[in-house]
Amino acid sequence: MSSVDLFPLWLSLRVAAVATLLDLLLGLPLAWLLTRGKFRGRDLLSAVVILPMVLPPTVLGYYLLLGLGRQGPIGRLLEGTLGFTLVFTWQAAVIASCVVSVPLLVRAAQAAFEGINPNLENAARTLGRSEMSIFLTITVPLAWRGILAGTVLAFARAFGEFGATLMVAGNIPGNTQTLPIAIYDAVQAGNMDTANLLVLIITVTTVVALVAMSRAARAARL
Amino acid sequence: MLNVEIRKRLPGFSLDVSLSAGSELVAIFGPSGSGKSLTLQCIAGLLKPDEGRIAINGRPVFDSAQGINLRPQERKVGYLFQDYALFPHLSVVDNIGYGLHTLSRGERAERVDKLLISMRLEGLERRRPGELSGGQQQRVALARVLATEPEMLLLDEPFSALDSPIRGRLHADLLELLNRAPITAILVTHDLNEAYTLSQKMMVYDAGRVLQAGPRDAVLRRPATRTVARFTATKNIFRGIVTSRQSGHLGVRVAGLEIQTPTGPYEEGETIDLCIRPEEIMLIRPDREAGTAVEENWYHGEVVGEIAHGTSFTLQFKLDGNPLKSSRDFDLHIDLPANVYYRLEIGTNKHWTVSLKKESIYLIGPAGP
Repeated sequence: MSSVDLFPLWLSLRVAAVATLLDLLLGLPLAWLLTRGKFRGRDLLSAVVILPMVLPPTVLGYYLLLGLGRQGPIGRLLEGTLGFTLVFTWQAAVIASCVVSVPLLVRAAQAAFEGINPNLENAARTLGRSEMSIFLTITVPLAWRGILAGTVLAFARAFGEFGATLMVAGNIPGNTQTLPIAIYDAVQAGNMDTANLLVLIITVTTVVALVAMSRAARAARL
Repeated sequence: MLNVEIRKRLPGFSLDVSLSAGSELVAIFGPSGSGKSLTLQCIAGLLKPDEGRIAINGRPVFDSAQGINLRPQERKVGYLFQDYALFPHLSVVDNIGYGLHTLSRGERAERVDKLLISMRLEGLERRRPGELSGGQQQRVALARVLATEPEMLLLDEPFSALDSPIRGRLHADLLELLNRAPITAILVTHDLNEAYTLSQKMMVYDAGRVLQAGPRDAVLRRPATRTVARFTATKNIFRGIVTSRQSGHLGVRVAGLEIQTPTGPYEEGETIDLCIRPEEIMLIRPDREAGTAVEENWYHGEVVGEIAHGTSFTLQFKLDGNPLKSSRDFDLHIDLPANVYYRLEIGTNKHWTVSLKKESIYLIGPAGP
């Protein structure tokens, strides 16, 4: 019985974890901006954030390739300054996962922020605290359950990313072959034993994540 | 010291007000939706007026002409919200100390302790707002506002959610506080009694405008317009025509009723508005002679309805002969204390002579809004 290479599992976990971290760093301020900000392009920004949820993954992959590829603006910048090629690396997989999962976090965080009585933040302002301080001591602590639910959802989405990842990161075994890609690979090659095991792993992981999310969402409603 | 002169347009509403206040409490009084809270939010910097000026203690915090608009953090204004806005995830102590982040830990603890004592909150330090009664929450909110030693207080209907006995206690607390350490305070309320009790000066708001501003007695007893008279529960408001000018009084006819009123700058034939407060109308004891009282406007009639308030009564009084040709069931509101009601046995004695004493009648002005 050939041992199944579990590298894809560890890679997917690593990629999803880093992507989720990026989601938080990028998504929380974005959600805050969309909730309380009053500026001209707000609706446009909101649409741009939701776009990755709606576009087909291959379209996203194509756009990422255009931007991150060796001919693209970001790709050329990275090559010029760091001598680093982004496409077909696990870091590109992180970016693909981040792009598709950040809308989920932003929407959940936005809903959580909107549920906070604006008078609380106003009171904090009249008491002299800075906007950043208010965000960290009032807004986030009061929204943490919604943010947690959004984070779990984002992680699950990042973990299962396939289409865009395949296009920008490729299918390099032992390097960028994430779990969903490995399953596709196994089925294509007729390795049903491998496929069965990998599918089981991914299903269990996803179900666990969803149960955790459901629990967190219920607690948030209390 | 506060000087405000602002204008702001919102969909379906426009605010255009000026107000000034010294080291006193000014009550902004008026119906819901008249722009009272809006004004407070503009003063605090939570909302930006379209144009105008706001200066606190001589320092401009907003000036549209000069492009000045200080953030709320920089205005040193204490704001007490209607729903208290206590931070639900922080303890009482952390709530009160929230604005004291620039002090050392020792100084902060000292200031918070002093407030805990003065606001009668000892023993509640570790509790969360959700574990406090309404009155306790209100005191924590007040303590939090006072902790930062602001230059001015803005109170947005802070007592409206409380029961009467608790409200009374907090009124006394606030009055004592302001006595000890006078500060400019603006109180927004739709409760006339609260406005009067707590203020030195009152401003009457309606639809984004100030109808009258002045000492509280002036607003209560010398309303500038019929609308102000209505808002301040001056329930007997009439419109009449001046029939004669005498040396000490005017003769005014209201429909079929002749009234002697105090003198005023009105010509014969002019239509004017006048009013008399319900507690100023006197019931004449049956044993008194009619004789001398022409100037006291005696009229006969009967009590056709009454509203019992517990410690006082409001009588609905209809004049004999229906001289006012009123479409309503009665002509006059008369307020009197319960003990007078019982002593005069108004429950059984319905027919009375009432006196609208000349000095109690107030001439609002030429017929107006």
